[in-house]
Amino acid sequence: MKDETMTRPVLRIENLCKSFGTTPVVTDVSFDVHPSEVIVIIGSSGTGKSTLLQCLNLLHLPTSGKIFLEDQEITAPGVNQDRVRRQMGMVFQEFNLFNHLTVLGNVTVGMTRVLGMPVKDAEKKAMNELERVGMADHRHKYPAQLSGGQKQRVGIARALGMSPKVMLFDEPTSALDPELTGEVLAVMQKLAAEGMTMIIVSHEMGFAREAADRVIFMENGRIEEQGPPDRMFTRPESERTRKFLSIITTGKAEPPSGSLGQDTL
Amino acid sequence: MLQFLLPGLGVTVSVTLIALCLGGCIGALMAVFRVYGNPVIKGLAASYSVVVRAVPVVVIIFILFFVISAFIDLSPFMSGAIALGFASGAYQTEIFRGAILSIPRGQMTAARGIGMSRAKAIRCIILPQAFRVAIPSLINEVTLVLKDSSLVFVIGVPELMRRAQYASASTMEPLLAFGTAACFYIVLTLTLSKALEAVEKRFAIQF
Ligand SMILES: Nc1ncnc2c1ncn2[C@@H]1O[C@H](COP(=O)(O)OP(=O)(O)O)[C@@H](O)[C@H]1O
Ligand SMILES: [Mg+2]
Repeated sequence: MKDETMTRPVLRIENLCKSFGTTPVVTDVSFDVHPSEVIVIIGSSGTGKSTLLQCLNLLHLPTSGKIFLEDQEITAPGVNQDRVRRQMGMVFQEFNLFNHLTVLGNVTVGMTRVLGMPVKDAEKKAMNELERVGMADHRHKYPAQLSGGQKQRVGIARALGMSPKVMLFDEPTSALDPELTGEVLAVMQKLAAEGMTMIIVSHEMGFAREAADRVIFMENGRIEEQGPPDRMFTRPESERTRKFLSIITTGKAEPPSGSLGQDTL
Repeated sequence: MLQFLLPGLGVTVSVTLIALCLGGCIGALMAVFRVYGNPVIKGLAASYSVVVRAVPVVVIIFILFFVISAFIDLSPFMSGAIALGFASGAYQTEIFRGAILSIPRGQMTAARGIGMSRAKAIRCIILPQAFRVAIPSLINEVTLVLKDSSLVFVIGVPELMRRAQYASASTMEPLLAFGTAACFYIVLTLTLSKALEAVEKRFAIQF
């Protein structure tokens, strides 16, 4: 457990709301993310976890509320959103590797085309990141030639290449065969140990127990309960949390929406 | 016979290539407008493609030659090439639009996620993939433009068709003249398609 009182938050979310049309999807979410903190967000499908994550790096613009990245309010008018996104790495459930680029190309393209790094420097840094995720030997392959777990590790390297202040993971292992989740979780665990600040939507309870400093349970677009993993998993205060956890631990990776008696379709 | 026709070959090839390149630029741009533009731009791009595809190519050639060239100085060769390019652009708009729409949404999301602007994401991530998807349809378009290039003879451009007509008139052997021209078109079509197929192989990506 890191000391949260001493440090200035990397990310501060204040009363964040996001609606699509008139449908509220994220409602009044507030929390701070401290340097090197690892936050795992859990909650049933359709509850707004992905939307929340995509609001954090402005892939979705919040309907209301404020987000601060270090000292800058990134939701303020006139902020360069592309510049904000460069500072936050995002890892997707479906990997979304660039299909026409090699593994190396996937990691360098952001450095060369966005940060304007010289190709040589970018390749050097990309190789470092690929070493970190154990994919350096595959640098000349195309995404189609990789397994799901390998794709996801390249996805992580691509995000790391931009030297992000925070890493956002949206169900990084949900699209993987069970035998491949381990290699991705191991990489994430290593990043956590190295002090990377991470927000992870995941239902890998074992991983959450080991790596998370805090677990946030979301329900219907709100934070229902949050706390350190050992307390959340053993003595949840909310009845809904308890219900959700019992569903999750009896096997299913993600319970279908509506399983909590609240249909969010 | 060959001495009549051979000079026309170069003209046909250049008219076709200029038209294809111009059409490719127009097509890619209009396709981007149609997929990513605001409603006004979308509408304008859609009208271009609908109107131009509805009008016979010969009409476009005449309009460009007689109407436009009254204002700006355009040789028949250039008017013909531009008219064909303008027409081909409408078809290539549809080809590129379909190709862009076939690229998974996640590619754009991921590109934005590493801080690319929309324009840069389209240029560096979407279009390179869309181009590869489009190649088989583009090969088809190449053969169509090549054949349409014979239409510019109506404004007196000395391309293959025009030359064949000369040859037929002066040698009184129409079958030989037009037969030879037909062979040239066949060889050209095969050559251009093969060239593009090589490009397709070179850049193939598996999904
Ligand atoms: N772009 C969008 N437009 C409209 N509705 C959306 C959009 N994205 C997500 N939603 C809706 O918002 C709700 C929450 O989705 P999501 O954030 O993906 O949930 P989760 O990641 O927790 O499964 C869902 O009901 C979904 O249908
Ligand atoms: Mg989701």
